[in-house]
Amino acid sequence: MSSLLLSLRQLVKNYGGVRALRGVDFDLRAGEVHALLGENGAGKSTLIKIVTGAHAPDGGTITLADQPVAELTPATARALGIACIYQQPALFPDLSVAENIALRLEARAALARIDWTSRLARATDLLARIGAAISPDTEVRDLSMPEQQLVEIACALGSGARIVIMDEPTASLTQKEQHLLYAVVRDLRKNGVGVIYISHRLEEIFALADRVTVLRDGQSVGTHAVGDIDEAGLIRLMVGREVAQIYPAAESAPGATVLSLRGVGCTASGVHEVSFDVHAGEIFGLGGLVGAGRTEIARILFGLTPADSGQVTLAGERVDLRSPQDAVAHGIAYVPEDRRRHGVVLELPIAHNITMAVHPKLFPTTWLRFGAERTLALDYIRDLAVKCTGPEALGGSLSGGNQQKIALARWLATRPKLLILDEPTQGVDIGAKIEIHKIIRGLAQQGLAVILISSDLPEVIGMSDRIGVMGHGTLRAILPGGSNPHTVMAAALGTAA
Amino acid sequence: MSTTTTSAAVCNVPGRNWSKVFTSHEMLLFYVLISEWLFFYFAGTSTNRRGGVVGFGTWDRQFDILRHSCEIGLLALALTPVIITAGIDLSVGSLLGLCAILFGKIWHDGGVPIPVAIGLTLGLGALAGSLNAVLITTLRLPSLIVTLGTYSLFRGLAEAITHGSITYTDFPENFLFIGQDHWLGLPTQAWVFLLVALAIGLLLHRTTFGRAFRTIGLSPEGARYAGLPVERRLALVYVLAGLIAAIAAIIYTARLGQAKADAGTGYELFAITAVVLGGTSIFGGTGSIPGTLLGVAAIAVLKNGLACLPVVMRLNAAEEMSGLLTGALLLIALTASVLPKILSTLRIRHHTSAPSTPQLPR
Amino acid sequence: MKRYFRELSVVSALLAVLLSLALFAPAFFSPQPLLSLVTREAPTLVVACGMACVIITRQIDISVGSIFSVCSVSAGLLVARGWPLALVLPTSIGFGAMFGAFNGFLVAFLRLPSIVVTLATMVTLRQGLNLIRQGEFVNLPDRVQWFGLSQTTGQLVLVGTALGVLVTLAWAMRHLAIGRYLYAVGTDAEAARLAGIRPQLVTLLVFVFIGALTGLGAMMNLAQSPQVQPLTGNGLELKVIAAVVVGGVAISGGRGNLWGAFAGLLLLACVSPALTHLHVEAYWEKAVQGAIILLAVVADGVRSRQGRA
Repeated sequence: MSSLLLSLRQLVKNYGGVRALRGVDFDLRAGEVHALLGENGAGKSTLIKIVTGAHAPDGGTITLADQPVAELTPATARALGIACIYQQPALFPDLSVAENIALRLEARAALARIDWTSRLARATDLLARIGAAISPDTEVRDLSMPEQQLVEIACALGSGARIVIMDEPTASLTQKEQHLLYAVVRDLRKNGVGVIYISHRLEEIFALADRVTVLRDGQSVGTHAVGDIDEAGLIRLMVGREVAQIYPAAESAPGATVLSLRGVGCTASGVHEVSFDVHAGEIFGLGGLVGAGRTEIARILFGLTPADSGQVTLAGERVDLRSPQDAVAHGIAYVPEDRRRHGVVLELPIAHNITMAVHPKLFPTTWLRFGAERTLALDYIRDLAVKCTGPEALGGSLSGGNQQKIALARWLATRPKLLILDEPTQGVDIGAKIEIHKIIRGLAQQGLAVILISSDLPEVIGMSDRIGVMGHGTLRAILPGGSNPHTVMAAALGTAA
Repeated sequence: MSTTTTSAAVCNVPGRNWSKVFTSHEMLLFYVLISEWLFFYFAGTSTNRRGGVVGFGTWDRQFDILRHSCEIGLLALALTPVIITAGIDLSVGSLLGLCAILFGKIWHDGGVPIPVAIGLTLGLGALAGSLNAVLITTLRLPSLIVTLGTYSLFRGLAEAITHGSITYTDFPENFLFIGQDHWLGLPTQAWVFLLVALAIGLLLHRTTFGRAFRTIGLSPEGARYAGLPVERRLALVYVLAGLIAAIAAIIYTARLGQAKADAGTGYELFAITAVVLGGTSIFGGTGSIPGTLLGVAAIAVLKNGLACLPVVMRLNAAEEMSGLLTGALLLIALTASVLPKILSTLRIRHHTSAPSTPQLPR
Repeated sequence: MKRYFRELSVVSALLAVLLSLALFAPAFFSPQPLLSLVTREAPTLVVACGMACVIITRQIDISVGSIFSVCSVSAGLLVARGWPLALVLPTSIGFGAMFGAFNGFLVAFLRLPSIVVTLATMVTLRQGLNLIRQGEFVNLPDRVQWFGLSQTTGQLVLVGTALGVLVTLAWAMRHLAIGRYLYAVGTDAEAARLAGIRPQLVTLLVFVFIGALTGLGAMMNLAQSPQVQPLTGNGLELKVIAAVVVGGVAISGGRGNLWGAFAGLLLLACVSPALTHLHVEAYWEKAVQGAIILLAVVADGVRSRQGRA
């Protein structure tokens, strides 16, 4: 017996100028595990945000159990039995497991008497049902990440949801815990619950799911029963045809080795045994799916989370990067992923942002030289074609693309040897994207060694001279630039091409 | 959806265009200061039986205002960089007391010459400030509770050293000159105050240190990602605060001619009020020395002007009134500073989720 | 056990101090002086319970000393005017709650930092009181002394009331939903809001609550001496914050409990007489208090860094 729990027709969602969803069709039956697959930026998280009521769609219809739904908010979604388990558990660290579960699930009046016995019993029961060996008394701060994830699952179970969305639930689980999770998912299915399961692990999808839908560029490009398609077929759907975008090509061969990593790892961030070289004049792309460890490599190289194993060599010299100051002193520059929080200080003028990393060089006596600062800012504004009202305009007044240029300018001013760019064109309109690509290639031409981290597969393939594909905290393969997207995706997913 | 609204809210945060900051808030305060001064001039000046002018409108009184405002002014100067980094230092008033006692003891019991005693006291003040600095930057403890602890510790040490009763007096004439005499037309300590104001002003507005302070106050993580030495800069503001508190202690002792353990009690409130009045945001990231100076002036005029009003003189309640009004003034200034944000939040509330209650920083 | 490690270490320290007192200054334990000491601290305990709630919510209130003074003086004046005690008690509590509501409104709804708001309120109230009273004492009629009971009975009543407040509150924080809300809001106000709690309301109420408890403490103080002086609440806030922080309530919010605060209060209360019996001057009290606050905060900081690392 299968009835339709959820039906999405022609869902459209735009964020500013970006079309995140362009007419997505999706449905979920009762007692089904329906996998959702797609590369980063394909629209999966947007879809989830709409189903959980966090964002409202700009077009299309949502039907829940044959009833059309006009408007979804987080509260009404919860009330209608939709639960979501995210990658980051959102628990209260100072409270016990039982209390966290209770806060999530109980509806209460302020002066209500708390029944600790029933709270404990319920928590014990839920935890037992998912087979988690966690005592309900434990404070959440004493639990590991995977254990916290299990508590989240217990919450979802306890909420009696009919639709459970799981966003990469096994990403941080050990083998044993993964099997626990699979058992939970099968249990849910047996009870008629519909599970939307987002995962990059193809073997998981084949083991667990009944159907799989692939999203690409904001559209659903295929829904198949799991038995009707194979890995190659899925990859083909994910990647599609070559997107005919032209990327600026390298005009000369790479030079000497600038950066060399051997067996580098950082236990805290889950990175291990990473080895690769980057040469002057080369763009080394770091590809892989979210959580593969690419930003973690950048943070190691920039001294934010220092490595505890392996060796990093810069321009022939072994270096120990323990802080961002160390990194900058050695000529490493990092344009971070979170532009608004780390890349640019929105409340400060453009000029201040641009000179922020070069105080020792530009103002050697610590005395500020406004003229020199303004000149420098104007130079970069001109060279990078930043659209602004002037160097005194605040960072927050610029568009995403222009903010990215300012973040870039800040680091270019340090005349680095190695430039690490983390998602440089994320949230940037197509015009600025093309400009930024030209700038990056131009920088490489001038002899800079560039590491380009990007979740945009065509961008990584098109821009890089070589591509390091990461997965699960380690480097899986090094492929030449311009490789077949199929090959790159297969490497990222950890399957044979 | 929410991201674009947030960026709009950031851009509309009151007066964050730098040229505007220097004209709008300070100018407003300047007008308030002028009006306040004029009020006290007319209400607090009179002629005595002999036909001479007495009260607020005399040169003596104005110099007195200058003289009395130097200590609180110095503390306000010390607190401005601290508050700009989104921190707070509640211990400056207590440190003033401790340094005054230490100075008295070093000179009196140690028998060292005055300049040496001054030098040692300044060193000890910086050392005390570095206690705050180490706890706040190395151990990442919240500045609130650390300076609350040192607020008690420093005052307690001052009381313990003096056994609660010892007062150091009989300082030599050439020392008292600093606090009680004039030099080139102004009270001597005014020159010290101006010098420190100049130094801190230059540090804040004209050096990379000041830039770093602002950035740290706006976004400590953003500062870290830009390669700024966050811990070193934070340590500096607290050590500086200690040093300046020591300078204030010297001036206080010279002015009163005695060093007592209760020196500087309650000064932190006046200092914080001056800083906030002057336009420095209690949340960090913005602030200016000219603004702080105006704030100090406003409070000094208030304190001293009140003492000149006949009604206040009759009640002999100058200190109470000034404390009362300063507290009220701080509340008004704080409310006024957040009102625009609150009003705009209420307007866009139905588009985004409501921001949460501010809490003590982690 | 690990859960209450912090609280247990305070209790151990307390036992160590009591032990050394028993060995070196057994006079400390003579019943009458001990009862008097404990009775003197009873109002402080009541306020400390409120302060623990405030700090758990990740706020702070340094105006309690001034609120205490204002309530004491007001209550004293009303009593001197002939008001029955049964009426003065709720009035004092109400007064305290009113000032607390003022603080709470500014912090919760105007989103101002509690340290600065309560700093301003503290000075305004204190100076306002000085202005009105000019340092004048209030002489209390005999019927107020010990609530008209004998001294020992009165002392026991006061201590009993304080303990009653402690036990009731400790129970409420564990067994009433609103008690748990304090922890949720203190840990992560935004997550609490998403879980259906209203952090602003909780914050407002916690300030009203501490104000009310301060009013109660003021009444308890009234019953202990023949007169009230306007300086009576001076230094109360520091004493109470020190007790609470030493007792394991983290200034960063979300952790700690009343029993720890109680142990912290007892520990600090013993320090002063211990110093006396050790022939250390009373003037070291503030310094010791400050040092203890710093030690407690450093210990907490080091411990949480080790846990995180």
